[in-house]
Amino acid sequence: MTAVVCLAVGGAVLYLVAGSLTALRQEGWAFFTTARWSYRHGEFGAASMLFGSIAVALMALLLAVPLAIAAAVFLSEMCSRRVRVALKVAVELLAGIPSVVYGLLGVLFLRDWIAALFDRAGVDALSADTLLTAGVLLAVMVLPTIATLSDDALHAVPRVSREAARGLGLTRAETIATVVVPHAAPGLIGAVLLGFGRAVGETIAVFLVVGRADNRELSLNALFDAGQTITSKLGGSETNIAAGDPMHGSAMIALGLVLLTLVLCATLAAEGLRGRLAGAR
Amino acid sequence: MKRRAFNVGFTAVAALAAAASVALFAAILGTVLWRGFDALSWSFVSEGMRAAGAEGGIVYQIAGTAILVLTAVAAAVPLAAGAGVWLVMYAGNAAKRAFEATLHAVNGIPSIVFGLLGFAFFFELLGLKKSWLAGGLLLALMILPTLVVAFVEKLRSIPQSTIHAAFGLGLRRGDVVRTVLLPQGVSGLLTGTLLGIARAAGETAPILFTAAIFSGATIPTGIADNPVLALPYHIFVLAQDSFDPAMRSGMWGTAAVLVVLVTCASALAIPLRLKIGEEAARE
Repeated sequence: MTAVVCLAVGGAVLYLVAGSLTALRQEGWAFFTTARWSYRHGEFGAASMLFGSIAVALMALLLAVPLAIAAAVFLSEMCSRRVRVALKVAVELLAGIPSVVYGLLGVLFLRDWIAALFDRAGVDALSADTLLTAGVLLAVMVLPTIATLSDDALHAVPRVSREAARGLGLTRAETIATVVVPHAAPGLIGAVLLGFGRAVGETIAVFLVVGRADNRELSLNALFDAGQTITSKLGGSETNIAAGDPMHGSAMIALGLVLLTLVLCATLAAEGLRGRLAGAR
Repeated sequence: MKRRAFNVGFTAVAALAAAASVALFAAILGTVLWRGFDALSWSFVSEGMRAAGAEGGIVYQIAGTAILVLTAVAAAVPLAAGAGVWLVMYAGNAAKRAFEATLHAVNGIPSIVFGLLGFAFFFELLGLKKSWLAGGLLLALMILPTLVVAFVEKLRSIPQSTIHAAFGLGLRRGDVVRTVLLPQGVSGLLTGTLLGIARAAGETAPILFTAAIFSGATIPTGIADNPVLALPYHIFVLAQDSFDPAMRSGMWGTAAVLVVLVTCASALAIPLRLKIGEEAARE
């Protein structure tokens, strides 16, 4: 049983690496550095997708992390055990809402709100399907993940540390800010990294609101314009088209490999940090 | 005085953040359920779709999702049971670590990568085209870590003394597994299965290229080239047509059905999880 699972995973990774070679050999570093992707011309430069993926994930973290960690501080340090368990259960239920439902809400509400915001700010945008829209939607989606994992990290700080700090006359806020949070820092960073991994890997919700425009410039202005992420590219019909052409197919597999590498690095680093925390206890 | 102000301000900010998060999610859940229940009716859940989703119901989307989820569970439960018992009873330390790392990695693989791999393996290599079996097996692999982790957590909460007593009675390892581990661990496996159902039912990306189509499928009669309709894929396609107001009611109705299904499955797992957590804490 176990061997079957390990074989399947090993085979999958091998397939991704071997399948990518054709395209990566043709493009070399240009695969990562040029923003020219046109399968009709046999050009595969994925820079604007890489930019899009990282940009939406960073925007999501920028919005979600302060709120999530502040909420986690409340959960872990300021409320009773019952309230904490109830809130955690609610948070985990909400983390389980399928991403297509978030996507639907993005399409029906968030897009209109972003359009109104653009009007008010005087941004001249063709549509409200932008990298920013995807980033805001992702912020809502990763909020519960980061909040509940941060709460775990804060809660794992030994009671004695808190009591010692309070005994020295620190207020609760001072205790949290100078003792609990620094102590829990590896776990908090782990929580953020896992949130990053989730945001980069999210496909369906991003697909619906990101605009899916290829080869946009890599600039701050591009955030307020339609863009493309690795996942929205892979989720589109190009995956079917690419099956007929070895080079194109290989380029799509290479996108999958890049995505997997990004997400696994974030996840494994996070597990390492969180594991260290558990070990220290 | 300044310190007191900091304390009050800090507390207020944290409480506000928690309140804002809760309100945000209450609003999300409330919106989906409220709009969705307006769209729900008996005919909506018992009839087939008409007019490309503008009329009729979603009975075959419900059936398709049920087929995918049941296939995934049927494949993942035996795998998880075997892997869990092996991890706790038989595996050496190195093998254990390697397998746990593999599970973590599988859990971290983005769902679209599963879709891509499944497309290459089932659709192209095995020539299955779009097939419910391909989608079900992909989802099985995706939810496997959830099942194994929940099962193993429960197995590890069994008191060592119970296991020692069983060995002391002269039982062989296989008998201990059958008479102690499996009966005591079954609630963990059940918890994992419920969480797995919740996850598998809502996933769109893995079935995008391997199992789901938007219209023209009912109940599959074979394996190869036998796609199904599915709730998440239905919402996904309709959402791309969202400018058409006629589609709205179908979208909200489908979303409500899916959210209720997913939330019920993970809510059912809560009491079991809390209990396992307490037992683990007591050890």
